[in-house]
Amino acid sequence: MNVVFAVKQYISKMIEDSGPGMKVLLMDKETTGIVSMVYTQSEILQKEVYLFERIDSQNREIMKHLKAICFLRPTKENVDYLIQELRRPKYSIYFIYFSNVISKSDVKSLAEADEQEVVAEVQEFYGDYIAVNPHLFSLNILGCCQGRNWDPVQLSRTTQGLTALLLSLKKCPMIRYQLSSEAAKRLAECVKQVITKEYELFEFRRTEVPPLLLILDRCDDAITPLLNQWTYQAMVHELLGINNNRIDLSRVPGISKDLREVVLSAENDEFYANNMYLNFAEIGSNIKNLMEDFQKKKPKEQQKLESIADMKAFVENYPQFKKMSGTVSKHVTVVGELSRLVSERNLLEVSEVEQELACQNDHSSALQNVKRLLQNPRVTEFDAARLVMLYALHYERHSSNSLPGLMMDLRNKGVSEKYRKLVSAVIEYGGKRVRGSDLFSPKDAVAITKQFLKGLKGVENVYTQHQPFLHETLDHLIKGKLKENLYPYLGPSTLRDRPQDIVVFIIGGATYEEALTVYNLNRTTPGVRIVLGGTTVHNTKSFLEEVLASGLHSRSKESSQVTSRSASRR
Amino acid sequence: MASLDDPGEVREGFLCPLCLKDLQSFYQLQSHYEEEHSGEDHDVKGQIKSLVQKARKAKNRLLKREGDDRAESGTQGYESFSYGGVDPYMWEPQELGAMRSHLSDFKKYRAARIDHYVVEVNKLIIRLEKLTAFDRTNTESAKIRAIEKSSVVPWVNDQDVPFCPDCGNKFGIRSRRHHCRLCGSIMCKKCMELISLPLANKLTSASKDSLSSPNSVHGSRRGSISSVSSVSSVLDEKDDDRIRCCTHCKDTLLKREQQIDEKEHTPDVVRLYEKLRLCMEKVDQKAPEYIKMAASLNAGETTYSLEHASDLRVEVQKVYELIDALSKKILTLDMKQDPPPHPNTLRLQRMIRYSATLFVQVKPLLSTTQEEQFEELKQKRKQEMELKRILERQAALESQRRLEERRSDLAARATNGEVAPTRRGPAPLRKAEGWLPLAEGQRQSEDADPLLQQIRNITSFIRQAKAAGRADEVRTLQENLRQLQDEYDQQQTEKAIALSRRQAEEEGLQREQLQVLREREREREQGQAASLHTRTRSLDFREIRPFQLEPGREPRTHLAHALDLGSSPAQSGTATKTSPASSAPEPFRGWSGPPALGQEFLPQSTVSQRSEAPSLNPFDEEEDLASPSAEGTASPPAPEPSLSLPARVLREYNPFEEEEEEEAVAGNPFAKPDGPAPNPFEEEDEPPPRTPASPPVPGNPFEEAPCTNPFEEESNGQEGAEPIEEELLLQQIDNIKAYIFDAKQCGRLDEVEVLTENLRELRRTLLGSPCRRDVKSSLPRCHRCGSAGPWAEMAPVCACARVHSCLVSISLQC
Repeated sequence: MNVVFAVKQYISKMIEDSGPGMKVLLMDKETTGIVSMVYTQSEILQKEVYLFERIDSQNREIMKHLKAICFLRPTKENVDYLIQELRRPKYSIYFIYFSNVISKSDVKSLAEADEQEVVAEVQEFYGDYIAVNPHLFSLNILGCCQGRNWDPVQLSRTTQGLTALLLSLKKCPMIRYQLSSEAAKRLAECVKQVITKEYELFEFRRTEVPPLLLILDRCDDAITPLLNQWTYQAMVHELLGINNNRIDLSRVPGISKDLREVVLSAENDEFYANNMYLNFAEIGSNIKNLMEDFQKKKPKEQQKLESIADMKAFVENYPQFKKMSGTVSKHVTVVGELSRLVSERNLLEVSEVEQELACQNDHSSALQNVKRLLQNPRVTEFDAARLVMLYALHYERHSSNSLPGLMMDLRNKGVSEKYRKLVSAVIEYGGKRVRGSDLFSPKDAVAITKQFLKGLKGVENVYTQHQPFLHETLDHLIKGKLKENLYPYLGPSTLRDRPQDIVVFIIGGATYEEALTVYNLNRTTPGVRIVLGGTTVHNTKSFLEEVLASGLHSRSKESSQVTSRSASRR
Repeated sequence: MASLDDPGEVREGFLCPLCLKDLQSFYQLQSHYEEEHSGEDHDVKGQIKSLVQKARKAKNRLLKREGDDRAESGTQGYESFSYGGVDPYMWEPQELGAMRSHLSDFKKYRAARIDHYVVEVNKLIIRLEKLTAFDRTNTESAKIRAIEKSSVVPWVNDQDVPFCPDCGNKFGIRSRRHHCRLCGSIMCKKCMELISLPLANKLTSASKDSLSSPNSVHGSRRGSISSVSSVSSVLDEKDDDRIRCCTHCKDTLLKREQQIDEKEHTPDVVRLYEKLRLCMEKVDQKAPEYIKMAASLNAGETTYSLEHASDLRVEVQKVYELIDALSKKILTLDMKQDPPPHPNTLRLQRMIRYSATLFVQVKPLLSTTQEEQFEELKQKRKQEMELKRILERQAALESQRRLEERRSDLAARATNGEVAPTRRGPAPLRKAEGWLPLAEGQRQSEDADPLLQQIRNITSFIRQAKAAGRADEVRTLQENLRQLQDEYDQQQTEKAIALSRRQAEEEGLQREQLQVLREREREREQGQAASLHTRTRSLDFREIRPFQLEPGREPRTHLAHALDLGSSPAQSGTATKTSPASSAPEPFRGWSGPPALGQEFLPQSTVSQRSEAPSLNPFDEEEDLASPSAEGTASPPAPEPSLSLPARVLREYNPFEEEEEEEAVAGNPFAKPDGPAPNPFEEEDEPPPRTPASPPVPGNPFEEAPCTNPFEEESNGQEGAEPIEEELLLQQIDNIKAYIFDAKQCGRLDEVEVLTENLRELRRTLLGSPCRRDVKSSLPRCHRCGSAGPWAEMAPVCACARVHSCLVSISLQC
């Protein structure tokens, strides 16, 4: 159940199967991203793949001494491009791999185009998703829903991605979905349909406890993507944005040219791998250690290379030194920028209030704090808007709700129309009416006592009190206590034992905070392996875009009457 | 090749190679062959069966080498991943995901489409050959015309075609009819094309050339052809020197020409690149060997001689330099050309250079010690050994109270600790990511104690982890280390005991009892949490605590995890009996995860019989890292068994686990041997005289021999591989010779005959003779070139076989 490894194995197999010799990798836009997540350039170079080309690029030279490995999504355009390519082959021989199921008719038209018999292999390798971490995958779809329902294009892409994931992990799961979400049910049905249709593909060795696919909807927990994050990976994504492991630093003041865009990949960056789940303070001290190590290893200018032994030692250590210096400068820059943003945007204070809004139930103190921060000129409009959103989500039905007043404050602060509209859109997206379960107040006795104890002891870290709702869901699932009336099975059969292999998919996008939760659950629960996926991986900004793209806010006024009626019926 | 000299004997059509019946179509031919001739195989089959078996052995031996290589590369890929910084603690080995091949469908559709094209080309080429078979320049025009008209292809009747089919002009006195010499159709002068003799020669000879020695001829002839063909465009040449044909035929032939050109042409970059790869392979072979030597020498061992090592070092260094030079050459290739090469070409060259640089960088050579240092090291080592021997003797004497003794042993070792820092830190071959065990070379040394290696690995992990500042990982590793050391200690003691023969048997019994006791203890331990255990445990934890306080570190392996579990009941005293039991299998999974670790355990069974002279004692090095914890465990006598138990269990289970995993890894390259390289093995070609003698036995070594025919190699463009193939053939020939001799001795004459036939066949193959047939489809192969066209690498039927399937000539056998 390691998605990075699954994809990597596919790619390795492709390269291996093509035999020795110089190779070119032909990809499309999406598969380029898929490959780049699991292989670095230097790594793939060692396997004799020297060129990377897009199938749609016109400026490709005829190089008959190269073998071509084509890794493509089975889309119409790609098949057309490939047909053109085969009619006039540019390379000596073609190994074609599709990242998903391809139709017989497409195979036929490809075969008929291959008059020069240059094709040596046509296969389906199901690496059709972006493997972010071993337990986290994404499909990089922003805006998957229109209103409450799927955008049909994205639905089929998501189904493909999810089935590909199952195939690559060799799991034929039972499916549960969130009842309150129509989209979740729809996706579950589509996945089931594919499994039924391609039953031959899904015939795997049966495990004692069948794997489980749980499909959730983002609107059940709109809080998590709205919070500021303090663990390294999540924080970098929140403040700088991670796109396929790449971070754009070009807006950082005084950035040097070669650090404009850096890659943070746990696969080949040891420091990152070790620190991605640690919080900001810990990273600070670790980066200090890293610097000290580096300083020690750094060849001093005064130190002359006197003997041959010295020179030998230097040459031996040099590559490592160089690699380290790259790592050091990268992380120092990133962490430096993070801390600059934290102080510039007054994030410590903002985050404290956010956490209070998300985790505690003290309305008056929360309101007071929000109001106070709205007056603070250092708080950006973005942060101000998100505080109000959090408030609105939590105290939506509170008797002394004073959202209008806060909206007033926002306007006075000069927050743009766009953000103010988003407040209502977010409520429309993830408000109480939509949620299938209770996000804020604990229901069962255990949870209540837990919270009570927490209140007594005080929290160890104010900035990381929040546990995503996913944690509770998964915890229940693992213990076999997840309610079937809220998360029903698709089809008649149900799981009798506690699940072991779990794939969770969140329509509307997962977050890195949830990834951390899953990571910790994997660590602490022996025998249980969880993989988390989402249509994308969100930070607040992208989440708000998602909300915007769903188009809820524009219709919110006219539909409010209808919805209120349906709500009252419930 | 009588057939080629005598055009009269070449017949055209789908001929059966055995009875020479003309079967109209490809499919009919195939079914005819299957019906009529497949039965003939049987009688001869039995005779060569034994031969086959013998030869198979030889083949296995040969192939095994290759197989091992692949398996190795497979595991390597896995390792480099599992240490890739992403905590491998929880991810068990994972098999390759599902996949589905569409190749057979694809081929079916393609074959349907392409067959007619191939037949077309073949027809044209045979006819062209007939047309050029006589001396055109010195024959009268009328005679040429007569030959062209009568013997090659029936011409279309003049009356049937009133208009030019291409341009639609009416034929008359002004525009005369012209016949295409290749297909017999009619067109006007304007639409007529001409094929010059050089071009015709090139087209027809391409197939011939590839049948006689493929390498030598081409190079020299190519130049001359191209120069002549450029001249041939001169206008005042008379028509007789050229062959009239229609546009359609000309197009088809030009396409074929282009394919021939592409096949023959190898750009400079390819040649240089092949050399570069050869060098890299050499390094991959030699470097581990050297690293092993260097590590051993640096440790003061005397297994290898210093000179030998430095020789090897120089050798490897030279190859490195060659790699550097070659890649530089590739980088600057065609740079000054005008017009400058395509940016992609430049990019390719840059990338090759870059990867070569990476290759050189990633594998720095560990330097050996100097002469005098080496002496010093040797001395030190001697002392160590001495000391150890003394200790062991003591141990033997006190073997009654072995636990106590172990403590002293350890303590003594701990004092040895100061030796360690003098040893050079071996961290070669550190791949870009995560921590790796020291070097492949060390792992490969089979004689070394796996435990020792494991310990060494873990030490290096700890070092690396410390460097990376991962506190909890270091802690886990140290936990591991301690257990391993205990285990190792135990073994050492056991050995010492074995030395003192008097007590050996007694000791063995005792151990057995202990074992039983330990197991019982473990059982009991879960439920009862005896006070003894709790005490020792608490001791343990106190010892470990300092490590926990060290700066932040990271994930725990499953082993450690499981150990935690195992001990937690004792700690809390609340655990049920079942929970530890269920957690027990955990570690195994975890262990087999990082294969490097697991592998070290594989040869466990040999451990006990391990000869004396344990190579360098790693404790000297480890002790200074881990001595506090090691002492911690060693000092309380009782916890020893209970603690070492999980490790023992691990040891016992691991091999199986490991095997499975290895299978998974090694299985991969073979499970689906597709791609071009293995293709020949599936569709073996056989020399026709022998075909009736042997049915398509899978894995028949004789099928192996022809299919390693240099031609196919050539079409692969791998000149480098050729010598090997030839070698294989030669070996095969030698084998057969031996068999013949054998058979003669036994007086089995019929067998001798078959074998002689075989031998001849093999020789012919070696010389580049054709006469092969695609066994799988029973498709007569090209009887003239016997080899593959440009598509040979992938086409199920060699393209050439298809090209010539319509023209099996009569006097074909050599």
